[in-house]
Amino acid sequence: MTFIWRIIKFALQDIWRNFGLSFMTVLILVLMLLSVNTLWSVKVITKEAVGLIKDQVNVSIYFSADAGEKNVSEINKYVSAFPEVVNVKLQTADEVLDSFKQRHSQSKDILGALAELNKNPFGPTMIIKTREPGDYKKIIKALSVPEYQNLIEAKSFDEHESAIEKIQNITSRTENVVAGLVLLFACISFLIVFNTVRSAIHTQKVEIGIKRLVGASNWFIRGPYLVESFIFSVLSLVVSILVLYVAMSFVDPYLAVIFPSSFSLTNYYNSNILYVFGVQFISVLALTILSSGLAMRRQLRV
Amino acid sequence: MITIEGVTKIYSKNSVALRDISLHIKAGEFVSVIGQSGSGKTTFTKLLIAEETPTKGRIQIGDWDITNIKNSEIPFLRRQIGMIFQDYKLLPQKTVYENVSFALEVAGEKSHRIAQVVPQLLEIVGLSDRHNRYPMQLSGGEQQRVAIARSLAHRPKIIVADEPTGNLDTINAEEIIQILKKINEFGTTILLLTHNREVVNALRRRVITLHDGHLTLDQESGKYIL
Repeated sequence: MTFIWRIIKFALQDIWRNFGLSFMTVLILVLMLLSVNTLWSVKVITKEAVGLIKDQVNVSIYFSADAGEKNVSEINKYVSAFPEVVNVKLQTADEVLDSFKQRHSQSKDILGALAELNKNPFGPTMIIKTREPGDYKKIIKALSVPEYQNLIEAKSFDEHESAIEKIQNITSRTENVVAGLVLLFACISFLIVFNTVRSAIHTQKVEIGIKRLVGASNWFIRGPYLVESFIFSVLSLVVSILVLYVAMSFVDPYLAVIFPSSFSLTNYYNSNILYVFGVQFISVLALTILSSGLAMRRQLRV
Repeated sequence: MITIEGVTKIYSKNSVALRDISLHIKAGEFVSVIGQSGSGKTTFTKLLIAEETPTKGRIQIGDWDITNIKNSEIPFLRRQIGMIFQDYKLLPQKTVYENVSFALEVAGEKSHRIAQVVPQLLEIVGLSDRHNRYPMQLSGGEQQRVAIARSLAHRPKIIVADEPTGNLDTINAEEIIQILKKINEFGTTILLLTHNREVVNALRRRVITLHDGHLTLDQESGKYIL
């Protein structure tokens, strides 16, 4: 116990007495965390925007007027069973007719022609929503069998096909670019933090040598640096969280204009607080411990 | 106390620091090891504190054969040998008090015992009133006295002083030697590595002369002869 208390005491003394160096180390870590969080936020916003676009894409299946309720219900069950399908909305022939009348309420000619027919010319419509735009092809293919040929009058997918493909291309490219940027930033941050910690320890090279000469064990020398790494990680994370929340309070009103849903970065971070900052804390701690461990390795050799 | 048998230290084919050195130092002796730069004095010190291992031969301190000492045992060896260096080797970020107490803290000494021992040690070297100062706020002589207080912290049986007067003026050097003599009077073995002729001649104690890695002279009550 005394051993641990002394290590903590030496760590706190080192931080305080090398205040300039400690401040710079924390500052570098804060900048690194802010960069990572900026990219993280960009990734979240991109994902939300892509999700919003994907949400607006669906496929409508127009049944013929004499398709029959039994057949439509059977196809509904069949389509709903696909794992790719998120939901299926079915509009009865009457609902389709009502909706048509509403849409053309200003056009007397169309409404007159409809009245002339004396019967509902529309069949039911099925609106299918899948997880990914690419999944629509599979559903359409499954419905393009001879048994359903007479029942289905038209499918709206053919009109949307090129738009859906474009969205797919853009989303996958955006995701790749953001992932690449995150990786690049992580590498740059690693090198900066590694060299900062290494320089901090290098300046104490002589001290480490003296500690060894007066009989300090390797753990007694290494211990304070591990505690310092922990303190630096906590401090930098707290500071970066504070800065991040202040920044989000400025960004969120703009996002509220773009996204009609209740999406906001603050909401995202609040609901993922343990995951997001837990991952960042563990990464920073591992990074500082690894850097100090590698920097000290040579100096701790006899 | 210290037994060295046939010790040779070769760093590389062209760098042989010590050649077949054998000697025995009894408990309570005050031995000066002299020699010019490059004669092997520093390597001799490094071997005693296991900073280097001999290429050949055997080194024994008390009953402890340290020839092939394990890495994990080195801190324990160093806590039993008080070391004093020419450049003092004090921790610049620690006060005088902390520099001395650090040596006890690393050994796991209890806090109340440290609070008792450190002021006594500072009193012995005459630095009680300087305990809150940092090394850079002290003169060379005072810094060396802190180093002596630190070397005494574990009540070592042996003190190795490597050129302790090298950076000091005559008055301060004399003071340091007087302190070492006083420590020796209490039974501690002192090994003084120096090339200060006046100091060695004034001591009139055992003198071991190293030249080009060889032990060339071992005088019971000797003088500085190179």
